[in-house]
Amino acid sequence: MKHVRYIVVAILLAAPRPLRAQVDFTAEWTPVYHEDAPERLPGPELGDYTGLPINEAARLAADSWDADRISVVPEYQCRPHSSDYGMRGLGNLRVWREIDPKNQRLVAFRTYMSAWGSERTIWLDGRPHPDPLAEHTFQGFSTGVWEGNMLTITTTHLKTNYFRRNGVPSSDRRTVTEHWTRHGDILTVITVVDDPAYLTEPLVRSQNWYADPGQQMPMFYCEPASEVPGPAPNAVPNHLPGTNQFLTEVADWYGLPLEATRGGAEAMYPEYQLKLGKPHSTPPAQCERFCICATLLECLANAPDRPPARR
Amino acid sequence: MRLVLVLSIVLAAGSALAQPPQGRGGPPPTAKAVAPVDLTGYWVSVISEDWRWRMVTPLKGDAASVPLNAEGRRALMAWDPAADEASNQQCKAYGAAAIMRVPGRVHITWQDDNTLKVETDAGTQTRLFRFPSTGSGQVVAAPGGPPTWQGYSVANWERAPQGVGLPEAFPVFAARTGTRGRSLEVNTTRLRAGYLRKNGVPYSADATVSEFYDYHKEPNGDEWFTVTTIVRDPKYLREPFITSSDFKRQRDATGWRPTLCTAR
Repeated sequence: MKHVRYIVVAILLAAPRPLRAQVDFTAEWTPVYHEDAPERLPGPELGDYTGLPINEAARLAADSWDADRISVVPEYQCRPHSSDYGMRGLGNLRVWREIDPKNQRLVAFRTYMSAWGSERTIWLDGRPHPDPLAEHTFQGFSTGVWEGNMLTITTTHLKTNYFRRNGVPSSDRRTVTEHWTRHGDILTVITVVDDPAYLTEPLVRSQNWYADPGQQMPMFYCEPASEVPGPAPNAVPNHLPGTNQFLTEVADWYGLPLEATRGGAEAMYPEYQLKLGKPHSTPPAQCERFCICATLLECLANAPDRPPARR
Repeated sequence: MRLVLVLSIVLAAGSALAQPPQGRGGPPPTAKAVAPVDLTGYWVSVISEDWRWRMVTPLKGDAASVPLNAEGRRALMAWDPAADEASNQQCKAYGAAAIMRVPGRVHITWQDDNTLKVETDAGTQTRLFRFPSTGSGQVVAAPGGPPTWQGYSVANWERAPQGVGLPEAFPVFAARTGTRGRSLEVNTTRLRAGYLRKNGVPYSADATVSEFYDYHKEPNGDEWFTVTTIVRDPKYLREPFITSSDFKRQRDATGWRPTLCTAR
C-alpha cells in the first residue's frame, strides 16, 4: 500500500500542467511596411542615404551606381537580397522548425522568403561558425541563442550586397546580429549590422510582420536575359565621380537640404535637426510623390517621375 | 521504490522552479523588484528609419507608410499648423501614439515601486506606466477626467506563453529555452486626438496604443531598447499602424535638451 502511495504521488507530479512554453516563430509572416514603405516597396530614391551611418567609401560607391546595372548586366539581374537586407525588402516570410527526431530537441529554425526564393537556416544546436575562409553566400551562416524570450542570431560569411537598393553597398566583411521577438501575432526583428568597410557605427533597424495563416507565396523565378541593348560587352553602367545628375532628386522631391540626404552617423541623432540647412530647391507646396503609400499598388498609383526642379 | 521517490522530488522541484516568483504570505513583489531588465537611464533615439518623416516636418499630404482610410486622408489634408498654434494645440504630434518616433532623448526612472516614468526632452512630455500590483490579478481601471496627450498607460512585464508539458528541471524529455519573458508591455487609452507625424497625419481620441519594449545588448557593448508600437484607430486607420523605434543607452544626460512642443 505504501508503494502504491509513492506511485500515485509520482504520477500526480509528473502529470501535464501549465508551464512556460518555448517561443516558437513557426508561422507564415506578412511584412508590415509602415516604415520606409516607398523605399522598401517601389524602391528608394536615387541619392537617398538618409538614416545610414555610411563612410566616404560607401558614398562614393553609391554615387557611382547606375540603375541600368540591373537591366543589362546579367550578374546583377538575379542577385538576391542578402539575409540582412532581405528582412527589409519584400519580406514575405515562412518560418518552421527542424526537430531532431532522436531527442525532440530544436535544432534550427528554417526560413523561406518569397523575394528570390531565399532559404536560410538558423542553427540552434551550438555548432561553431565555419573557418573565416569558408564560402560566403547571400544568406550567410547563422547561429542563434536564447536571451529570455528573445532569439539572438549571429550571421557571418555573407557576400557583398547593399544596405539600400540604390547602390549603398555592404561588404563581405560584415557581421549581422538579429534579435527576434514575438508578441502574440506580431514578429519584430531587430537587425544590427557591423561593417568595417562601409559603416562608421553599427546600423540598427527593426522590422515587423504579422502572422497570416492564409499567406501563400508563389514560386519565384528569375532568369538572366538580355532584354535591352547594353553598352559595350562586359561594361558595367556607372557614373564617374561628380557626374551623377540624379543625386539631387530626393532633395528636390521632398524639400530637403542636399547635405542631409548624403547620410552619415551624425545625421541620425536628434541634435542634427539644429544643423539642418535650407532645402536644396524651393519645396513643392504639398507632397507630390508616394504621398499615400502603405501597399505597393498605392505607392505606384501616385508616383510621378519628374521632380519639381526638372520641370 | 527509491527511484520513484527521487523522481517525485525532482519533479516537485521542477514544478516549483517553473512558477513565477511569488510572495509567500506577504505583499506581492513590486514591479520594480521583479523587473527582468533595467530600462532606467537616459536613452537617445537613433533615426535609421523613416528619416525624412521624423527629422524634418514632411510636406503637407505626405502620409507614406501610414495605412490611413478615406476619412484619415481627408483629415490629413485639413492640417493647419497656424490653427493648432492659435488653439494652443502645438503638442498634437507629441502624444503617446507618436512620441517615441519623435527624435530626442528619453529619461526613464521608477517614480515608485509600481510606476515607471518616461520623460522626453522633445516636447517635455511625461508618460507614466502603471503596473497593477504584481500577482494580485488586480485590473487597473483608467480614471475619469478628460483625455490627455499621453493618456492612461497600464504596464506589465510580459509573461511568456503558457504551455503544458514536463517541468524545466527534468530536461531528459525536453530542453526548455526561450521561455523567460523579458519584454515590457504597455497599453494606453484615454488619449486626446493628435498626429502620428508632425504634418498632421491624424489619430483620433478613439485610438489605443499597445507597446512592447525589448532590451538588447550588442557585441560592442552598446545597450538598446526597441519599442514596437501598435496604434489602433477605427476612425482614421484601416488596420493597426505598427512601427518599431530604436533607442541607445547613454551613460549620462549628455544632449538632454527639453524643448517646447512646436506645430511646424
